[in-house]
Amino acid sequence: MYELTICHLYPDLLNLYGDRGNIIALTKRCEWRGIRVRKRPVSLNDTLDTEDFDILFIGGGQDYEQSIIQDDLLKGKREAIREAVEAGRVILAVCGGLQLLGRYYRTREGKDIECIGAVDLWTHGGQERLIGNLVFECEFLKSDCFDGLVTGFENHSGKTWLGPGVKPLGRVLKGFGLNGEDGYEGAVYRNTYCTYTHGSLLPKNPALADHLIALALKNKYADFESLEPLDDSIEQAARDTIIKRLTGTRF
Amino acid sequence: MKKMLSMFRFRAAVTAAKLAIVILRLFRSGGTSLPGKLAQKLYPQILDHLSGLFRITMVTGTNGKTTTSRIAASMMEQKRLTMISNKSGANLASGITTTLISALTLSSRPRVSHALLETDEAAFRKLAPRLKPETVIVTNFFRDQLDRFGELHATVEYVREGISKIPEAVLVLNADDSLCVSLGRNVPNRVIYFGMGEGVYPETGASINTDAAFCIQCNSRYEYTSVTFAHLGHFSCPSCGYERPHTHVECSGILSYDNLGSTIEISGPDMRITVKLALPGLYNIYNALAGASFGLALGLDGNKITTALSGFEFGFGRMETIQVQDRELKMVLVKNPTGFNQVLRYLLTQEQPCVIAFAINDRLADGTDISWLWDVDFEVLTLMDDRVRSFYVSGVRAEDMAVRLKYAGISPDRIILEKDYHRLIDGALKKTGARETCYILPTYTAMLDIRKLLKKRFGLKEFWQ
Ligand SMILES: [Zn+2]
Repeated sequence: MYELTICHLYPDLLNLYGDRGNIIALTKRCEWRGIRVRKRPVSLNDTLDTEDFDILFIGGGQDYEQSIIQDDLLKGKREAIREAVEAGRVILAVCGGLQLLGRYYRTREGKDIECIGAVDLWTHGGQERLIGNLVFECEFLKSDCFDGLVTGFENHSGKTWLGPGVKPLGRVLKGFGLNGEDGYEGAVYRNTYCTYTHGSLLPKNPALADHLIALALKNKYADFESLEPLDDSIEQAARDTIIKRLTGTRF
Repeated sequence: MKKMLSMFRFRAAVTAAKLAIVILRLFRSGGTSLPGKLAQKLYPQILDHLSGLFRITMVTGTNGKTTTSRIAASMMEQKRLTMISNKSGANLASGITTTLISALTLSSRPRVSHALLETDEAAFRKLAPRLKPETVIVTNFFRDQLDRFGELHATVEYVREGISKIPEAVLVLNADDSLCVSLGRNVPNRVIYFGMGEGVYPETGASINTDAAFCIQCNSRYEYTSVTFAHLGHFSCPSCGYERPHTHVECSGILSYDNLGSTIEISGPDMRITVKLALPGLYNIYNALAGASFGLALGLDGNKITTALSGFEFGFGRMETIQVQDRELKMVLVKNPTGFNQVLRYLLTQEQPCVIAFAINDRLADGTDISWLWDVDFEVLTLMDDRVRSFYVSGVRAEDMAVRLKYAGISPDRIILEKDYHRLIDGALKKTGARETCYILPTYTAMLDIRKLLKKRFGLKEFWQ
């Protein structure tokens, strides 16, 4: 029997906008296939070891909460996270999590806040919040029977740019994405996936959830080939409804 | 001369707004902000002028504003005060202006002495200094529609800024809410605290999604000796000593508690009363405590406060019951995770089989981001799965709600998607057995639409009447 350990970093602090929906989706989609899931919350003063998890989830927090974790993250957990990224562990970082994995966050006042520096990306605080539903297209999810479209909701004022070694997660069809300027959303570096799409990202985009689960199983089990398909008609309906509303596309 | 001119503008604005109110009523439209907007256009200082004509109480906070306002109104009735209130959730500047204008005679004189104004938290900052309230009740702070307000702490700061401009006002604050309590620190105002007594409600462990786990003064993690729900409880900070203050009004015992209401004991200065509340849910005990504190501030005695609390029934949309032959429709507004969790907890106390229908919209007034559904503990519904005949999902985001239920452990074949409200009501009532209840849990704009339909079919009263 396969088993995966999902680590939720600072679940009591970085849990904005229904972030835990992503953990719920990963867990359920494993369990429905008979894959055992162990959940491991890691918060302030807890040690984080690269060996401790197969999937790491980092959500977003409000400024207040992000200021609380700043020290603990940089002093206690930075090395483990950098190692994990380089080792190709599966990581999903959402919104504030995306920003924290980058090199720095420059506030509107021009002050640079040091971040983990595990992924070559950086963020500048913007004047207005980029808020709304978004749809983007992920090349790596496209197949004969799937259009590669991912949908969700973004709410951020930071504008993020990617360094040369980092690929965007997708191309924005509707919404703002990374910075509202270059037409891209999210970042992929090795097996680290970053996005501004929060909350119900994975529940509503089961193809992406399964992609991450499959990567984690591939990392861990040499005999793993592929995931058995599930009945995702409810998830597809939720995804299709909002994509149709945003893009006018018929399904 | 200048004074005369502004008096003229005031009267002109009042007359125009009154005309607009009459016209809107004529067309049976519940528009409550338009007349106020019109009056503000004609005379920008109108609110400052109006506020001088009434003795004002403001009610703000994330959850329970409407119920608390209604309880406060029933306290005022016991005191035989004449008053106007903004009942229908018109809680921004324009709606409040409309409300106050509607309480003026044609010659622009006030018909009542008092005004009780439910106020949006973000609008409070600007409204408080203009309205100059005598009393401010703050119910609590929870996460709510962050896409509109920004951050929870920003919301608290909005209210704090408003309070800093009204040092004369009496503050009625929730002692169990660390965010709320911070408003009463280092201010010249007189403060009345209300809260749940130590250990009165035996609850274990705060949920992981608490909104305020860390000290607002020094960022250390709070310690709790008891928790009622979310971050409400007896908190203290081990580093800086910030802690729940002593209360003036406290729930000192819960004698009974079921899905119809509760019997509670309330203790205060020279007061110990037992009250039967016809309002179910723990959150309504807090609303009752806020109301009782306000009653004390008005100078009511224990008997009068008991009468005011006992004669109270649910406000608009918060929990409405409609009898349809031998079945019951109950509608409860849901708008944020804490409130939704309280409603779910209330449903768990329901022993009869029932039908549950969710109607989730994502219009501006609902909050355009529905991710908050993932912060609601729908997983508890599996505890009553055998008592629920069917789960209905409706509203603009019905499909998202269906996904949430599926991942909460509800089998997809028990979930019925029906976006048409007529068919939703018909279907849900048909599934409901004789003498059973069908619960409808809508977000704000879904509630307005469903209410319109229920009114047409079952003759509900207009909510602005
Ligand atoms: Zn402290």
